[in-house]
Amino acid sequence: MRCSFCGRRAVYNRRYAGTLLCDRCMVKSVERRFRRAMGEHRLVSPGERVALAVSGGKDSVSCMHLLTDYCASKNCELVTVTVDEGIKCYREESLPIARENAEQLGIEHFVVSFRQAFGVTLDKIVKLAKRKKTEFNPCTYCGVMRRSLLNQAARELGADKLATAHNLDDEVQAIMLNYVRADFSRLHRLGPKYPPREGFVPRIKPLREIPEKEVALYAMLKGIKVHLGVCPYAGGIHTEIRDFLNRLETNHPNSKFMILRMFDRMKPKLAEVVPEFEMRKCEVCGEPTSASICKSCELLHGLGLKPGRKTLISAKSLVNIAAS
Amino acid sequence: MTKLGEITVKVRVIGQRVAREIKVPQKTRIADLLDKLGQNRETIVVRLNGKIVAEEERLADGDSVEILPVVTGG
Repeated sequence: MRCSFCGRRAVYNRRYAGTLLCDRCMVKSVERRFRRAMGEHRLVSPGERVALAVSGGKDSVSCMHLLTDYCASKNCELVTVTVDEGIKCYREESLPIARENAEQLGIEHFVVSFRQAFGVTLDKIVKLAKRKKTEFNPCTYCGVMRRSLLNQAARELGADKLATAHNLDDEVQAIMLNYVRADFSRLHRLGPKYPPREGFVPRIKPLREIPEKEVALYAMLKGIKVHLGVCPYAGGIHTEIRDFLNRLETNHPNSKFMILRMFDRMKPKLAEVVPEFEMRKCEVCGEPTSASICKSCELLHGLGLKPGRKTLISAKSLVNIAAS
Repeated sequence: MTKLGEITVKVRVIGQRVAREIKVPQKTRIADLLDKLGQNRETIVVRLNGKIVAEEERLADGDSVEILPVVTGG
């Protein structure tokens, strides 16, 4: 099988586009798509400070490598943040890989943990949730608290943008999940970037139009060291939707892109059905929220834990955390 | 015993300890082998004799196929 562009041996059949790609053309294509997304949606402006959330997995580490060159060309400063949720035998394996890549690229790397901010690890939260038989699964606790902590860290680091490495598959899964749950509010918030809101660092998703498999191939072909472990709490409806979408894509190539394109065209219309809400400060921890108490504090309270969080205070304190 | 028109390939899924020898018809594509093994091509990368290849490549007798799951989630 030969590359459709240069005739070298193909490493990938991009079935949704009807093209075969060799290693060189594959890497170039991913880099081109990344730059196009950055430029088309104006994800960063020259001189900005960008905080990238890095887990150590293929998506975030690949994004780190792609953003390093891009930020240098735009005179932007890139810093990386890892959230240590406290998942035994998982995060402790991926965290050193995130750190190693940041060191290799000469980027500052900060670590913030659930234990430090909320006084409890995710492992402990999951145990408590099981004991109390709450309606929420581990991904709910992790997702809500991780997003909130990332925003807090990015804000305290003085970042103008918070980049996350969500790829095409992640975005389409989120669209489908919100359809299934009829959650207009969350559906409306999806997109390549979130508009600025008080207390929130605007979020950007540079890999939103790159399929997960292509990100993985990019990392492998570039020889980037990544963590390929599976979160022990992964499962439930997220996995069911992911498997369904992968079956759909295998049998009907281009389905994922079509779902994304359809959503992007419908998104302006969603604004008409999603009510505007006023941003407030959480009465317990002071973080931005649409209710009187933020979702993180509400979840902690529901488990019988003391709601609230420690302020990370300044970039200086984060450096200390990273060093400890 | 290999029948006429059949080939034997060695298959290993990364993360699983044991490699298996599988008999398939001659000129079988990797994509067909993946279907037989219940592996979704969207979630894996294949190395054929140590090199990453497209799943449309055809297998030959004695080939070594490594399947690397890359969709990890979580």
